[in-house]
Parts: sequence; C-alpha cells; structure tokens
Amino acid sequence: MIRIENMTKSYPSKLGPQYIFRDLNFDFPTENNVAILGKNGTGKSTLFRLLAKSEYPDRGRIVTNKAMSWPVALQTGIHPQMTGRENTRFIGRINNVRSLARYEEKVQEFAEVGKRFDLPVKNYSSGMRAKLVFACCMNIDFDIYLIDEATSVGDPIFRKKARASLKEKSEQAGVIMVSHELDQIREFCTSAVVIDEGKLTYYADLEEGISVYTQESK
Amino acid sequence: MVTLKQQLYAWRTVIFALFLRELQSKFNDKFGLSWAFLEPFVFILALSFFRGLLNEGDIHGISLFHFMMIGLVGLQSYTTGIQSVSMSIRKNKPLYAFRQVQPMSAIVTSGFLEVAIKVVVIALLALALYLVGDGISVDNYLLLIVLFSLLWIQCISVGLMFGIAAAFVPEVDKIKSMMMRPLLFISCIFFSLQDIPEEYWPYLTWNPIVHFVELARYACFPKYGSQGVDLAYTVETTAGCLFLALCLYHITWKKVLAR
Repeated sequence: MIRIENMTKSYPSKLGPQYIFRDLNFDFPTENNVAILGKNGTGKSTLFRLLAKSEYPDRGRIVTNKAMSWPVALQTGIHPQMTGRENTRFIGRINNVRSLARYEEKVQEFAEVGKRFDLPVKNYSSGMRAKLVFACCMNIDFDIYLIDEATSVGDPIFRKKARASLKEKSEQAGVIMVSHELDQIREFCTSAVVIDEGKLTYYADLEEGISVYTQESK
Repeated sequence: MVTLKQQLYAWRTVIFALFLRELQSKFNDKFGLSWAFLEPFVFILALSFFRGLLNEGDIHGISLFHFMMIGLVGLQSYTTGIQSVSMSIRKNKPLYAFRQVQPMSAIVTSGFLEVAIKVVVIALLALALYLVGDGISVDNYLLLIVLFSLLWIQCISVGLMFGIAAAFVPEVDKIKSMMMRPLLFISCIFFSLQDIPEEYWPYLTWNPIVHFVELARYACFPKYGSQGVDLAYTVETTAGCLFLALCLYHITWKKVLAR
C-alpha cells in the first residue's frame, strides 16, 4: 500500500502554475499488478515519477514502507559512452546489491546481450538498450516494480521471458505500469487506476478500468 | 527508522558509484585520465615559464616563475572548480530518476574529483620543479593546506549557487563565463598587490582570490610579506558562501529535480 496524503503537484508555466493534482488523498493498492490509465497530459508519468520519488510534491507526501524500483524507462541511468557492464555495475552499486559479480552475470544472461556486454551502450540497438535496463531492474529484489511502456519493447521471446519473470516476482512483489497499449497492459496487469482531471479511481477488475478509460477517451 | 550511520553509508555508496562513473565517462578518449592532469600542468608551466623569460628577476623576493605558478594554481583551481561543479547539476540530470541520487551527490562528486585532479597537478608541478633543481621550500605548510581547503570549500559553494541558478535560468551560464574572464587580470596573478598604490587596494581586495593567492605566496616565502591581505577575510567569505549555498540548496533542491 502506498498512501498519498494531501498531495499537491504543479509545474510552473507561462500561464502560471499548472496544477496536476490538488490536495489528493488516495491509497494506492500494490497487492496485485496495477496499470495506470489516463489520457495524455492527465499526469500519468508525473504520478509515476512521484511514486518513485524521482520528483517530490509541492505539498503533502507519499508514504510507503515498500522498496520501490526506479521508474524504468528506456534510457534511465544509462550512459551511452560506458559499456553495458559498467552501466550495470553503476546501477548495482547505487542500489546496493549484495554481490556485484553475480548481479553482472545475471543481467548479462537475462538481457541476452552476450559479448556485446563489454561494448559501449551507444553501439546497442534501442531494443537491446531496453532489454539491458529491464534486466538491470528485474535482477534486484524490490517490493514494487515501476515499469514504463518503453521497457516492454523487445522481441516476442524477450517479452515472454519478461512476463514470466514478472509473474514470478508478483508472488512477493507488485508491479505498477504505465502504458497506452492495452495489449501490453492486459498481458501484465490485473487491476487499474484511472486518472481523470486530478482524481484517481481504483478498479479491482482491469477490464472495468479499461472500459471506463476507453469511454472517457471518446 | 534510518540511523545516521546507514544514512552516511548510503551517501558513500552513491558518491563512490558516481565517482567511478565520472572517471569512466569523462576520460574515454585515447589520452584517458592523464589529460586531466596534463592540461593544467602544461598550461601553468608554460605560462609561468614564458612570463619568466620576458623579464628576469624577482618580485619582492620570489622568482617570477614561482610567483606566477602559485598565482595560476590558485586561479585555475578556482575557475575550473566553479565551472565543473556548477555544470554537474545539469549533467547528472538523467540520474535523478534514481531517488538515491540527489543533486548534492553530484556536487560532492565533482568537487571531490576536481580536488583530486588539482592535488595531482600540484604534485606534478612540485616534481617538475624539483627535477630542474628549482624547488620551492615551503615555509608554512599548515597555512598552505588551510588556504587550499578553504579555497575549495568556497569554490564548491559558489559553483553550487551557480548550478542552482542555472537550473532555473539557463542564461546564468553565459553570465558566469563572462564574469570569470576578468578574474585572470584582477586576481594579482601577473602582479603583486604590493606594486599597486595603497589607495587602490580596496578595488582589488574585495576579491577573495587575491587573498588566497597572496597568502599562498606568503606561506611559501615569508619574506614576501602579507600586506593588505588577511586570512580572516578568506575564512569569512568561505563561511558566507557555504552558508548561502546550503540555504539555497535546502529550499530549492526538490524543485531542481523537476526542472
């Protein structure tokens, strides 16, 4: 459970502060895999980043005792000049993994990069980068994994593997996912939170959430 | 509850990781890390050497070569320090997605890296001087170390303030480089404060670098004297800058993340 207390978040702009959320109170469920649904500009990614504490609200707070992953998107924390191995070691270090060598091995195997693990990431294709980031995240034990749509690119085989490992993780951990692609969401998630005009609503049944979301979109 | 010890340990891990990352990514070309030492070393050595060729002799008991070198080390440390510390906030922006990495970790890392580089440069310079048989026998090591530490604390603080300002108003970077340029001419690098008529001193002595440089010369050669400069002033400006920078950081760091 992640509790959001009296949260206000705005961004400055030429038209004055743009409020995304105003005095929001919400208990974000994390027991099962949750999708965050909402139109463009309703604050999906903002909520996502706030949950990860990559950004902080103007007022109010977000309380949780769960270990959360970083918001896993296409490029976070990856330096193009550094090799895959160096990038992996950096992520391992700041997340305080127990054995860097074992972590490295597991990531190399999971990401299917083989020998290219020792080449600079700028030589990777975008699919390979996404795989690397995803592998880095999956091999650290978090309570909640925050996955952005970009990470679920990759070939069908990798996606199958990703789904299997997320399934396995969801025994003890939860997943929060942001995506526009309903197929992907149906693949990974079982419930939904719909954002509309700064209000959050939880739907325990994913299909119910999706139908509300698609009707809103019309 | 997280104890202070765990807190410190977490900070250490992050800063260590950032430090290695900086080393790996900054010096990725053929020259590698050696360029970081070589460039300021050659710059300082060449400039002091040619200045020394132009007119022989000494300034208030210091040979021109040594005189220039001490000044340039001080100024170079200050300007490149401010430059890289203030840039580090923006450069590490993608990493703030990890909540363990905060702007302060980036500041501390780049400050630490710059200090380490400058210490090696100074060692190289000392070695070069020793090998050509022109070594400096430092009279007051303690004063020199105090000055060097104060200079770095001040320079990291000023860099932090510039970095935060540039996060909100990007134009600050342009103003910063414009402000840095005259420092070479007003910081008593090419001349001594004692050669300036005393009534004009206030126009120069507001600048803490003047105090750092002149006191460093005094620490190496006591007969050079320390007229017009004051250790207390360097301590005061450093404390002031550090206090301001930390206040500014405390109230803005969460907003800096969203920029």
